[in-house]
Amino acid sequence: MKDKRLSAVDMLYEEPGPKAKRATAIATTISLILVALLLFYVIRLFYVNGQLQPKFWSFFTKWTTWRFLGKGLIGTIEAALAAGVLTFCIGFLFMVGRICPYRVIRAVATVLVEFTRGVPTLLFIYFFFLVIPQAGIKLNTFWRIALPVAISASGVVAEVLRSGVNAVPAGQKEAALSLGMRPSHVFLKVVFPQAIRYVIPALISELVIVVKDTTFAYVVNFPDLMQNAKVLVSNYDSMLPVYLVVAVIYILINYTLNQISAAAGRRRVRAGAPKVQNTQTV
Amino acid sequence: MASKEIPVIELKQVNKHFGNLHVLKNINLQIKKGEVVVVIGPSGSGKSTLCRTMNRLETIDGGEILIDGEKIPKEGKDLARLRSKVGMVFQSFNLFDHMTILDNVTLGPRDVHRTSKAEAEKEAMKLLARVGVDSQAKKVPAQLSGGQKQRVAIARALAMHPDAILFDEPTSALDPEMIGEVLAVMAELAKEGMTMVVVTHEMNFARQVADRILFMDGGEIIEENTPEEFFTNPKTERAKAFLNSISRK
Repeated sequence: MKDKRLSAVDMLYEEPGPKAKRATAIATTISLILVALLLFYVIRLFYVNGQLQPKFWSFFTKWTTWRFLGKGLIGTIEAALAAGVLTFCIGFLFMVGRICPYRVIRAVATVLVEFTRGVPTLLFIYFFFLVIPQAGIKLNTFWRIALPVAISASGVVAEVLRSGVNAVPAGQKEAALSLGMRPSHVFLKVVFPQAIRYVIPALISELVIVVKDTTFAYVVNFPDLMQNAKVLVSNYDSMLPVYLVVAVIYILINYTLNQISAAAGRRRVRAGAPKVQNTQTV
Repeated sequence: MASKEIPVIELKQVNKHFGNLHVLKNINLQIKKGEVVVVIGPSGSGKSTLCRTMNRLETIDGGEILIDGEKIPKEGKDLARLRSKVGMVFQSFNLFDHMTILDNVTLGPRDVHRTSKAEAEKEAMKLLARVGVDSQAKKVPAQLSGGQKQRVAIARALAMHPDAILFDEPTSALDPEMIGEVLAVMAELAKEGMTMVVVTHEMNFARQVADRILFMDGGEIIEENTPEEFFTNPKTERAKAFLNSISRK
């Protein structure tokens, strides 16, 4: 009995009766027809405007096109990974500052968190692109995109981590302290590992935002997927097909990330779920 | 080893407030080595708070608390060292949910005493066997029953070789059929000479295992007595009223 878990839908709605079932069936049919009509209309629009002509699509049969897009994809993944790792580290520091017992540090961390959460990513990119070089600091294009994207997401990551830390029951900390563990060890070995488990889904969602933010790479001329797509667009004068393909690639990446996030969430629920006794020693 | 004259735990003029509420009033108390002290009293009497001050999970506003004759400091290395000498068993078990049962027991010795992994695990398995849950060593806390969890918590406290163990209502969160198994482990410990402070509502346990009963009400120790005297012939009116109210249930 305990094995059957309620999904979000089960929790919100009760089992539909015959009337509700009929209404659902009718609504489903109507919306399917509407979607089909819309799709047909869009495709027709493309056709009328000549976007479906072979010349706009034929270069996708060439190996070089895919290699070029692939290089961009690798650029995107590298930038997103670097930014992701960095944003986690910065976010961790901010979070530690936010829960620090010293008021001054806490205030500074709070300001930094609000600042990074409030300023748009593009402004950070302009800052690293236009202001930092004037100070004589040379960054290559990779860091000109990875750094600002990381900083932009770090405030949110800090708050996500903090919510996880706050969700760990006080008794966990007390138990560790009562063993004689130092507060820093208590945090690193007992509190934080549990906090992370609570917030993995939210952290992965933030990684999705990081991936999307790397599309600003065109601003600093870093060859990511988007930038390379732009090159293809201007070379072949084929905007729609290229962006369509690129959109699908982004969707696939982020869909995969979201699936991982959902799986992590399910795993956590399982790990925390009380199991029926079966190996009790009597 | 502490000499016989120095109490394992000593409270001198301890006071504590929660806002306007005076939760501990001038508590003076000495707990000798090997003694089993059971603290009883109505809810809100300050007995849990008293228990938790003894390893500074609750701060105090006045007075001092000494472990083996050494004053508990407010923070730092010495606080951690003194805490490691006083084990604690909680009402809600507080096992580390992200670790296996074995790791729950070895974390303290490995982190605090720098015991090697192999040695800590060997000892942990012995302790788990002693409390009857060694077959569960590879599981995580969520897979255990309440009674098993509490027995693991006792093993975790024992792994630090404490001079005393504090039990803060150890059976209050347990299903009735599991209370016995935990009390049995505690009685066994008492017999082996462990110094124990037990906050509990289990009057039979108090009567059979305690060397001394402390009856608390309104933040004060109202009566200190032997179990036999306390349960048959309490000195104070409030203790009489309390015993009457629970025997009626």
